[in-house]
Amino acid sequence: MTTMNKVLASMALACVAATAGTAQAQVKVGVIQGLSGPPAIVDFGESYLQGIKLALHDYQAKGGKTKIELVVYDDEANPQRAVSLANRLIQSDKVPVVIGTVSSGNVLAMSPIFQKAGVPLMAGPAVVTQITAQFINESPSYIFRCSMVNQFEIGALIDWSAARYKKIGLIHSTTGAGIFAANEVQEGLKGKGMQLAVVEAAAPGVNDLSAQMSKMRDAGVELVLNFHESYELPFRALARLNYKPVIAGPWGLSSTKVPEIVGKDAVEGTVMGQALDVTAGRAREFDERMRKEYGSAYRWPVVASLGYDAAQIVFKAVDRVGKPDPAAIRDAIENVDGIEAMSATPAKPFAKGDHECVDKKDVFLGVWKGGVVTRLP
Amino acid sequence: MESTIVPQLMITGLALGAVYALVATGFYITHLTVDKVNFGQGDFVMVAAFLMLSTRSAAIPVMLAIPLVMAGMLLLGLILERVAIRPLDGRRSSNVGAFAWILTTAGVAFIVQNIVELVYGKSSQYSPPLFSSDRNALVHVFGMRLVVEELLVIATAMLVAALFYLFMFRSRWGKNIRAVAYNPDAAALLGIDTRMIKVAVFLVASLLAALAGVLIGPLVTVQPHMGLILTIKALVVAAVGGLSSPIGILAGGLLFGIAEAGSNYVDSTFGDLYPLVAAMLLVALKPSGLFGERAADVR
Repeated sequence: MTTMNKVLASMALACVAATAGTAQAQVKVGVIQGLSGPPAIVDFGESYLQGIKLALHDYQAKGGKTKIELVVYDDEANPQRAVSLANRLIQSDKVPVVIGTVSSGNVLAMSPIFQKAGVPLMAGPAVVTQITAQFINESPSYIFRCSMVNQFEIGALIDWSAARYKKIGLIHSTTGAGIFAANEVQEGLKGKGMQLAVVEAAAPGVNDLSAQMSKMRDAGVELVLNFHESYELPFRALARLNYKPVIAGPWGLSSTKVPEIVGKDAVEGTVMGQALDVTAGRAREFDERMRKEYGSAYRWPVVASLGYDAAQIVFKAVDRVGKPDPAAIRDAIENVDGIEAMSATPAKPFAKGDHECVDKKDVFLGVWKGGVVTRLP
Repeated sequence: MESTIVPQLMITGLALGAVYALVATGFYITHLTVDKVNFGQGDFVMVAAFLMLSTRSAAIPVMLAIPLVMAGMLLLGLILERVAIRPLDGRRSSNVGAFAWILTTAGVAFIVQNIVELVYGKSSQYSPPLFSSDRNALVHVFGMRLVVEELLVIATAMLVAALFYLFMFRSRWGKNIRAVAYNPDAAALLGIDTRMIKVAVFLVASLLAALAGVLIGPLVTVQPHMGLILTIKALVVAAVGGLSSPIGILAGGLLFGIAEAGSNYVDSTFGDLYPLVAAMLLVALKPSGLFGERAADVR
């Protein structure tokens, strides 16, 4: 081959490569999660991210026509850092859509930035009720969520508790999320004409709740609503106090870390808000795949399933649009249909005026039974 | 209210107070000798708790596991002294150098914390009881239901305080340490190996962290971020008891532990705040602490 021929051949190859590059468009999807800091944050953040990664794997395996690349950042459960990362993803990484994060305070801090920039945010696994509500009347709202919603799980817990127990106690953390949940519980019970027999609190980093739980026992509390993010702590004090109340609380109580730390027997009968039933259908298969994929690092099935569903909705919308166009991706997310969800997310999760994956009707109560969280009969 | 609940809560408070006292005794010995403390002392307790967890997972008998953990912590103490303390020895005269140990020891603590996260993950871990396979192994004392490790850690802190007192004020080694504390140059002229003493005090502090880590594991949920709060509370305990005597530190620790348990019972919303406010007031009124001497430098 002459030199000229070599040059022509190289140019031809370059043209082919360039054509191939345009055949599959590439879109970056931003992810902000709490991946360092207190264990309660990291467990949520890592579990949600595990679901997102499995969803990307499945998207690629099914031959999605748009090449998707995740840009993952750790907000360290710090609101300032979350805001800074939101700006970085929009201005520097130029992502057209973002998924995240754990801390509700962080989501509330960064969601106005996404709304103003016109970049859709799929919030999760944050739970505070206002996250989507505060923007839902905007036209259009760029804030969606695929996570448990405080209001829905507390509503389900209140309905169940009020029908069965006369003396109900509440223990909550002194964080913003803990105080917010405590207010919702108190308001919910007030609506049923009931009052909490005991309300106790504790700072997030405490090691022992014996004092608080002894007051529950002395007041004859039958049901303890546990809204402290160190979910295992109330259980640890029970043997010392010779006290066996029923414990119920948020979806956090379904973390496999809880029975791992306090024992399967201790959590038996514990009730929590739930949006995943691993004993049936796709969810069962998902649970098995996650166990194979992540082993002991897979510790929170419901959080991982919502991460998976959040990601598959976003990826489907991105694939439909096929280019990094935030406004078009927002519309595609709002109109996405035919989702084969692992969690209780319906096939068409969103509509104008409804930006929650999981609605009130989709949230149910789960119970620890024989080492597995099943649907409460 | 059951009649046993108050003493039972007090013992739980005493147990945590005893852990703070063990950590603070580590501050005492190094502060006395080289005017420095390890700002990662609480993180050393965390490392010891994780090492103990590993030995238990490997089914190593407790009586063998404890010396293994201590050996590991001695090695960590040696590394701390070599990389974070000794290089600063010649820089005391500069404004920055005089307090650089705060940064270097805190830096070692961050590194150690990250290594633990890499090895064990960032989640909370269960640490089994030392002498039972039953998670809820309890002993019944005068109608109270107590965890064995609660009693063990209180007894250990008391024993350590007594031994430290005898060691520091009755033994030749203790006199050597105090001689180095008063005047290292004069001590060297008297034939005392000041370098060895300076290394030894950090090893002793690491051993105390090992003891605290072994005993605290079964009482709490072990996690990589548990060290900072222990360091802060131990500093408060040292301020309350006074940094001049191991007995004062023990008393400060136990008082602080009881105050924490009591205030959480009375008003759990601000349960951790009241003892800290009380400690601040106390230090404002008596800067040398409850059992400290009036002189600013107790040596």
